[in-house]
Amino acid sequence: MANGEMTMRARLVGLARKIIEWWALAGGLLLLAVVLMTTWSVFSSAAFGEPFPGDFELTEIGVAVAAFSFLPYCQITNSNVSADIFTSRAGPRIVAALTALGSLIAIGFGGILLWRMYAGMIDYQVYLETTAILQIPLWYGFVPILVSLALLCVAALITLTESLGDVAAPPVDGTASS
Amino acid sequence: MTSELLVGLIGLLWLIALIAIRIPIAYSMIIVGGVGVTVLNGPAIFMAQLKDLAYAQFSIYDLSVVPMFVLMGNVATRAGLSQDLFRAANAWLGWMRGGVAMAAIAACAGFGAVCGSSLATASTMGRVALPELSRYNYAGSLATGTLAAGGVLGILIPPSVVLVIYAIIVEANIVTMFMAAFIPGLIAVFFFLATIFIYVTIRPDSGPPGDAVPRQEFIEATLRVGPVLVIFGLVIGGIYLGFFNPTPAAAVGVFLVTVYGILRGAIRLPDMRIALLDTAKTTGMIYLILLGAEMLKIFMARGGVPQAAAEMMATSGLPPTLILILLLFALIVLGCLMDSLSMILLAIPFFWPVIAELDFGMGQEEVKIWFGILALIVVELGLITPPVGMNVFVISAMAKDVPMRDTFIGVAPFFLAELVRVGLLVAFPALSLWLPRFLAG
Repeated sequence: MANGEMTMRARLVGLARKIIEWWALAGGLLLLAVVLMTTWSVFSSAAFGEPFPGDFELTEIGVAVAAFSFLPYCQITNSNVSADIFTSRAGPRIVAALTALGSLIAIGFGGILLWRMYAGMIDYQVYLETTAILQIPLWYGFVPILVSLALLCVAALITLTESLGDVAAPPVDGTASS
Repeated sequence: MTSELLVGLIGLLWLIALIAIRIPIAYSMIIVGGVGVTVLNGPAIFMAQLKDLAYAQFSIYDLSVVPMFVLMGNVATRAGLSQDLFRAANAWLGWMRGGVAMAAIAACAGFGAVCGSSLATASTMGRVALPELSRYNYAGSLATGTLAAGGVLGILIPPSVVLVIYAIIVEANIVTMFMAAFIPGLIAVFFFLATIFIYVTIRPDSGPPGDAVPRQEFIEATLRVGPVLVIFGLVIGGIYLGFFNPTPAAAVGVFLVTVYGILRGAIRLPDMRIALLDTAKTTGMIYLILLGAEMLKIFMARGGVPQAAAEMMATSGLPPTLILILLLFALIVLGCLMDSLSMILLAIPFFWPVIAELDFGMGQEEVKIWFGILALIVVELGLITPPVGMNVFVISAMAKDVPMRDTFIGVAPFFLAELVRVGLLVAFPALSLWLPRFLAG
């Protein structure tokens, strides 16, 4: 039974990892879309004297939304840089415990920001604020961002449980599984 | 000492402690900044700020150039540019003693012109040049040292992600910064070539001459770097001459490099997928650190720590140049412990107010540019010095037959060349400032 539970959990974690990766990839495609839009705008303003309408604000929103979508992927792939030099002599257990602490901070950060930016979104809905040219309501961008923050919490939860597992039973090769 | 300043200093100690125990640098900054602001301003104000702080930071227009340059570099590493560059450089320089290593440096410089990352430059060029260097029986230390050092050119020659970040922190003009980096970048290339020349003059066996290339192949190889020159000319030239802003320029750069890679048959869907995911990792990391730096900045400014440091330095009676050298030295030491981007984001908010208070006999805008170039160079030195010389790690992971100690030894002459260059740039600010002045008319 314990075994069945484990595989169930493993499957859920695997699914979450997939979703987080696809979410980051979607953000990457959004970035690519901004690149194409901007390239077209440069070409169009050089050739016909008229840039893509609202290219400036679309870049701002697009890149911000994309950047948020990268955060969960960063967490799950352990891409956030740390200074490893001072702990290079520490045992795998200590390193795993410190990594767990980092994940815990990430959960706290993701959670608080999710809560606060939800409030921010409500503010933007109540006192409707839009971009200058295309009149896009600013809160539109907050929706995918909130999803990103929720996924960041999920990603940090996964890295947390993995490091805690390493604390309980350090991997034999002496390096934390990360 | 005011109580705010005391809280600020305690926060600083906490920050160092958290970073030392391997908490990701971004989160160390976020938690210290967040807790610090909450202590000084009360929770209500900070919680209200958080509604919009992250979005405001992530949607800064000037910042959008960062993911684009990162993407451009990631596509460029897979687009086959590196082979073309090395073949052409080798056709020009390979026949000389030490020429294949010189060709590697030249190719690194060319690659640095489309890629703003040091590690990517070192690893991409390493993959192409290391096998050639060992084919011509180059000494292992020279071969690996050359490539580890050559990687630094990725950052020094525009476009440079670190330089964009610096410009955003100190509110300098990104275009001006790119202009200022150009001549120092050329000096670096020249110095590295000279270093190899001296190296093989002293130890002729370490870098035997390669084969002279037949005329036909020479012309063909040279023509193949045309696209790189066009892309660099359009992107960086376009920025210099004011045709477009950095963000549109970067977008055009991504577009052209991708089209080039597709036409060359090097970029297919799976490559694009990896390039995008790599971009996601780097961009997410950078943006999170930027957010942390912003929160830390709000806290430190409220605590008055940078101002206190600036005042202390300004009233210390030390000559400005000495203070500058001390700060640069501190950056070298810190750069040995941390990656360059975190370094810039951590140190510059404290160092810049100090520098801004000093009198170097030029305007503050010019000091800003000059100090930025110097800071950029010295933090990059950390990439080729122990204990965490990332460039050295990357190259020695590729050259399995060369012990890492040899790579560090091989990189030492280049390190000295860099120190000479920093000295030159400190002594002659015009080397950094002339081109922006000239282009600004």
